[in-house]
Amino acid sequence: MATTETPGTELERAAAQVPAHATEPAPGLLPGEVRPHPSPFKYVMIAVILVVVTAVEVATSYLEGDIPDGLIVTLLLGMAIIKFSLVVAWYMHLKTDLPIFRRFFILGLVAAITLYAAVIGSLHGFGN
Amino acid sequence: MATIEQTPSTTPPEPEGTQGLPAPTPHFGGEEPGHGQGTGITNGKLAMWLFLASDCLFFGAFIAAYLLYRGRHLNGLTPRDVFNIPFTSATSFILLMSSLTMVLALAAIQRGDYRRLKIWLMATALFGATFISGQVYEFTEFSRRGLKVDTNLFGSTFFVLTGFHGAHVTLGIIWLLSLWGLAAQGRLTQRDAERVEIAGLYWHFVDIVWIVIFTVVYLVPQPGK
Repeated sequence: MATTETPGTELERAAAQVPAHATEPAPGLLPGEVRPHPSPFKYVMIAVILVVVTAVEVATSYLEGDIPDGLIVTLLLGMAIIKFSLVVAWYMHLKTDLPIFRRFFILGLVAAITLYAAVIGSLHGFGN
Repeated sequence: MATIEQTPSTTPPEPEGTQGLPAPTPHFGGEEPGHGQGTGITNGKLAMWLFLASDCLFFGAFIAAYLLYRGRHLNGLTPRDVFNIPFTSATSFILLMSSLTMVLALAAIQRGDYRRLKIWLMATALFGATFISGQVYEFTEFSRRGLKVDTNLFGSTFFVLTGFHGAHVTLGIIWLLSLWGLAAQGRLTQRDAERVEIAGLYWHFVDIVWIVIFTVVYLVPQPGK
């Protein structure tokens, strides 16, 4: 029995099964973008939030001696996480881009935090 | 026994060594043909995200070293003696604003508004240069007051951490100015928006690293008061 096969046919069939939106960005979108980026107005609003949070952060640091240091550290780290998340989600577009970018970045971040927390922990923390 | 017949192909012959490999996907985002990925992600953007993930480990090492040696210096000046929080808050504010102008530059090129693209790119570079000027002033002032990289553990970890961050910002400024130069020559078009986006990812990353440094190094109460 003779079988007829065109070279590359199987690959072409597989490629045809990939949805168009997975290989090409929709009109007006950049590669890897799932939804359009925020408007300039939204960018400015995020900047306003960042400035306000920074001002509160600096003010909080001046409360040293008035409230427990542990509370100051918790508040400062909380505000830093808010600022960090806002920039990464909106300015770096992880909120509107393909999830693969978010996974890569979180992988690096978690690896760094885990590794250095282990290092600091194993060397008896800081300030001791 | 089954035999396989090859049908005549109308497509040009594949280069040697590429037989059987998937055909290149249509390219976009200013990438060369054959450099696109079937996932819809361009190599440039993926490479930048992978670099940023690895840079988290790079800065993590210096931040961890700073925290590890925090309060353990036996001689010389301490953070409390040298830090000028209002001044550093002002330079931090400037770096935050540079992230805003960077995304406005990206929005401008996506709209095809090249005049605003040039304005925002230059504004971002100038904000970055102002931040670096502030850091140079701070380093000079610390040095004048007797805190150098070899003075004590605080000096070593502080200058290495903030110095590497400053080097990243400087590299970002050069990158932004080169993009501005291309835009000024009309060689940066709407089709090249992804190039601005990739530069922006790098720029925002140095901003988020500073968010962490500013909090951990400058604002968190110092031990041994």
